[in-house]
Amino acid sequence: MSSWYNKVDVKNSAVISSRIRLARNIKGIPFPARMNDTQKLELLDKFKSVFDGSKVNEVGTLKFIDMATVPEEELMAMVERHIISPDFAKKQGPKGLVISDDETVSVMLLEEDHIRIQVLLGGMELIKAYEIALEVEALLGKNLLVAFDSQLGYLTQCPTNLGTGLRASLMLHLPLLEGYGSIAPLAESVSKIGLTVRGMYGEGSRSHGGLYQLSNQVTLGISENAAIENLTAIANQIVQKEYSARDEVEKSSIADNVFRALGTLKYARKITSDEAIKLLSLVKLGVSMGIIDEVKPHIPMQLIIKSKPFSLQTQYGRMTPSDRDVCRANFIREQI
Amino acid sequence: MMCDVCLKNPATTHIKRVVNGVAKEKHLCSYCAAKEGYSNFGKLSFANMLASVFSENESNNLISTRRCQCCGASFSDIAQSGKVGCSECYTVFKDQLLPSLGRLHGKTIHTGKTPNQAEQTEKVSDKINKLRQSLNDAIKNEEFEKAAEIRDEIKALEGEVKDNE
Repeated sequence: MSSWYNKVDVKNSAVISSRIRLARNIKGIPFPARMNDTQKLELLDKFKSVFDGSKVNEVGTLKFIDMATVPEEELMAMVERHIISPDFAKKQGPKGLVISDDETVSVMLLEEDHIRIQVLLGGMELIKAYEIALEVEALLGKNLLVAFDSQLGYLTQCPTNLGTGLRASLMLHLPLLEGYGSIAPLAESVSKIGLTVRGMYGEGSRSHGGLYQLSNQVTLGISENAAIENLTAIANQIVQKEYSARDEVEKSSIADNVFRALGTLKYARKITSDEAIKLLSLVKLGVSMGIIDEVKPHIPMQLIIKSKPFSLQTQYGRMTPSDRDVCRANFIREQI
Repeated sequence: MMCDVCLKNPATTHIKRVVNGVAKEKHLCSYCAAKEGYSNFGKLSFANMLASVFSENESNNLISTRRCQCCGASFSDIAQSGKVGCSECYTVFKDQLLPSLGRLHGKTIHTGKTPNQAEQTEKVSDKINKLRQSLNDAIKNEEFEKAAEIRDEIKALEGEVKDNE
């Protein structure tokens, strides 16, 4: 499979990616916050023998990485690609990652919980992502007993994840709803039905370029399938609103904005990360609305990720912020 | 309307909670609301909520000094950090945790999937062992009514294991 940002469903291009996260812990071992380094290393060894080299259908072979040896810049680039959480990148002490070649499966070991299985797919693919996550979970087998309580479900370090331990999220591209100021009231109304709307990088992050994450909040007292169905149904309503706003908007004014953005990206010699996201978001909108046909549908999102500071640096080496803006402009010019 | 708790000040905070489908209403003055953890609506953090539940129980020294044998956490460790120490803490501190879990999720009973069958059976046998232990304790303490209840529970669980085999 290809990475989430390389795939676009042209008929439903406002849904960028689907993510499933399962939180699991091992019975009888303290949660990460109360583990010492010896305990952590021992548990990582066990996880390595369980996951390293295991095969997952349609995804391929999993590989174990000792995260304590990975340089910080590479960790931050992984955050930019949504493979690991910002908290995990910053976390000190022993930690591990299990990842598939295509990066669709990533398992954070000793993040907030012992195990955080993540499956990330392009487009509206929550059910498929959940199925893959279950397959990864099954690798734990009988060797490692998962902490589970018949009343409280899967037991997690933070009680907000108790029950299913499932967080399903969809990344949505909603530039018109954002432009009309509809996101804040939307966030308020979905919070009443147990969902949340957040910026692109989850908790506490601001949104850039109309990119938002919609995810379930409640994990106890709702089944996995019901949580996924609810989220999908609400997401469908939201993107339909975005599409009807796109149908109703005056095309000529949007076209002007969109082509100005494309022009800047094609000729600018220095672009900051924030500006790049803003302009690429407009180009993505233009491609989706059929205003621009010279840019391939997956290119804007791919460039949004790859032109982020740490992703650029892992590719072109360390540089000053100002050099990086030059490098970013060159990189985008070559690709668009 | 006066505050439900102190009965002195006018109630300014009105709370409606639905736990397991049962709605409960509370009317509090701002002082009592703050004491119960309803003060900071903008930034309602779980740690605060747990801490407020903890403070309700603080008079009971037995509870506050008890520690989880698996990870060494006390309930005040959990309340202050908002992080539970280990899977066993959920059993040790269940009674203290449940009220805030209800506030957090609106429900306190898991309805999703369970680990696979083999693991489940192992867990039932764990449960039976634990019950046998408390059965012995009950007999030692001459709590025969309690012992009879536990015995019935063990029988029921043993039946479950057989059904699964």
